[in-house]
Amino acid sequence: MRLPDFVRTTTFRWTAIAVALSILVFSAFVYWEAGSSMQADMDDSIAEAALAIAAVVPERRIVTIEDRLAADPRRIRLAGLFGADGRRIAGNLGEIPPRLAIDGRVQATQAIRMDAQTAESMSVRAIGRRLPDGQVLVIARHSGELQELAAAIGRALLLGLPVAGGLSLAIGGLLSLRVQRRVDELHAQVGHIVDAGLRERLPTANLDHPFDKLAIIANSMLDEIEVLVTEMAETGNEIAHDLRTPLTRVRVGLERGRVNATTAADLQSVADRAIAGVDEVLAIITSLLRMREIEHYGDRSGFCDVALAGLMREACDLYEPMAEDKQVSLCADLDDSIIVRCDSDLLREAVISLVDNAVKFTPAHGRVRLALAREAGNVVIRISDTGPGIRADDREAVLRRFYRADKSRQSVGVGLGLSLVAAIVKLHGFRLALSTGPNCVAEITCPMSEV
Amino acid sequence: MAKILLIEDDSETADEVAAELTERGFEVELAASGIEGLDKARSGKPDMMVVDRMLPGIDGLTIVETLRGEQIRTPVLILSALGAVDDRVRGLRMGGDDYLTKPFALIELVARIEALLRRPIETRETKLRVGPLELDLIERTARRGERQIDLLPREFRLLEYMMQRNDQLLTRAMLLEEVWNYKFVPATNLVDVHMGRLRHKVDGPEDPPMIHNVRGAGFILRAPS
Repeated sequence: MRLPDFVRTTTFRWTAIAVALSILVFSAFVYWEAGSSMQADMDDSIAEAALAIAAVVPERRIVTIEDRLAADPRRIRLAGLFGADGRRIAGNLGEIPPRLAIDGRVQATQAIRMDAQTAESMSVRAIGRRLPDGQVLVIARHSGELQELAAAIGRALLLGLPVAGGLSLAIGGLLSLRVQRRVDELHAQVGHIVDAGLRERLPTANLDHPFDKLAIIANSMLDEIEVLVTEMAETGNEIAHDLRTPLTRVRVGLERGRVNATTAADLQSVADRAIAGVDEVLAIITSLLRMREIEHYGDRSGFCDVALAGLMREACDLYEPMAEDKQVSLCADLDDSIIVRCDSDLLREAVISLVDNAVKFTPAHGRVRLALAREAGNVVIRISDTGPGIRADDREAVLRRFYRADKSRQSVGVGLGLSLVAAIVKLHGFRLALSTGPNCVAEITCPMSEV
Repeated sequence: MAKILLIEDDSETADEVAAELTERGFEVELAASGIEGLDKARSGKPDMMVVDRMLPGIDGLTIVETLRGEQIRTPVLILSALGAVDDRVRGLRMGGDDYLTKPFALIELVARIEALLRRPIETRETKLRVGPLELDLIERTARRGERQIDLLPREFRLLEYMMQRNDQLLTRAMLLEEVWNYKFVPATNLVDVHMGRLRHKVDGPEDPPMIHNVRGAGFILRAPS
């Protein structure tokens, strides 16, 4: 048999269990509390009676005892007066209970009740006192009352549990029905949001309600997802545009070349231009794949300790002739002791990319400077130049795929360099900072824990 | 005439590559699957192999690994559509000698095949000589005829690499990978700038040129005829 949904929810199950448990615990507590207070009352009255009887003159003892026993409709009182030798003088006790400590406190023990015809052993609370003349007075009380109390509570439980159980099931069911309904609502709302292209949000009214908190969390997640989806769509558009531009050039070139070329040399130059265009397209695709590859770089098993100074010096070495040709001075101030755990190929790529950018965008007589230093517990790789730099509102965009700050798509290289750098830096758990305005400074900060 | 085994499942690529290699004077044998390729590698005794990474049956890396396990040391160039760094590293670790990412320029493939076929012989020679050019690997000096050439360390490394492979076409990518150890360099004319400096020093104004630019491909160091 399949149980209804709300019964199968954890809320329902836990509510039922909690209610049943609390009934049990509560009954046990009532029993224990009532029992102990009843026993204390009983003990007090026993001790008082013993004191009272001990206080009367010896001649009236027997009468007093008998009066006490006579005024006992519930037949719970026991008393006995015994001689110094233990012989019974008066009362309904057959003998001094063997385990009763004389002149002690009220205690639980077994006693024998003597009536006209019967003798009955029973559990009692009793006290024994030796009187000044040597006689022993025992006052007791049948403790069956306590057992009756337990039995009464037991009966109450027996009757109450099904009621309480039913109640708890009802409460649990109600609660989980409410939760279920809210979940169904949320489900429908989320479905609606997905259908509506992630543009809408879950309604939130009462900030303290757990479900509204959940909705707020879900909404912030939706915000994030929407940003990502939008970015992805934009990137897709940019890619399409960046591919279409060179492909259009190639197509037009080939079409015109096919008609207009009259010599083999003409045709060759048409083909050369077409190949260059296709190479440009391939470079874009390769960069994109590289990007994806870096973003999905698996474990860090390829990481090793790398002396960054050497790596940066190599980058300088590689770019020095080009900088000289552009009349840009290239200098390095490197701390040779610095070792960082990283993927050396990728970090080299990042550094080269930054140096490449710096050299490319710095005008003649400018300066490009590489620095490697420890600063405030971090290792900082800094590449600064005297170029035009990045505008503040372009900074984020520069790190995105395909963007080029000058917005012209004519300059050398595809604008993926900095996005690749950003991806590499992110993969390592380092930080990339780009200054804005003229004299660009690019910084890769490696936290000390990574060093 | 060197015999090349080309294991490639895309028939169009295979035919184009085979035609290009045949035109350049190689004898080409084709295999369209991993199993066929492995058979031909064992029986045909090729001088070198070009192996596609992704093949039906047995993939390219497994072929190379199997052959190396059988002590067959034929040089292997692995072709791959996967550009992943670790893929490349794996390819080379499994016994591949070079790795080329698809799509590639045919001239790049040919240059790398030539380089693998004519790998410099290990020598104890401490001096390299090409025509009038002499490089002393101990003294770290270079001279052309009587003329002493002052080289920066990076220029020395570049010239050393070229002199070990004289008369061979060296592409920009090969030079970056081998001399500078860089696999990914932003698309710039970096190598040309370095080569320009070196050429300026090696080929004096009166000298017949030794460093030749092959348009759209790379560079060759050749003794003057």
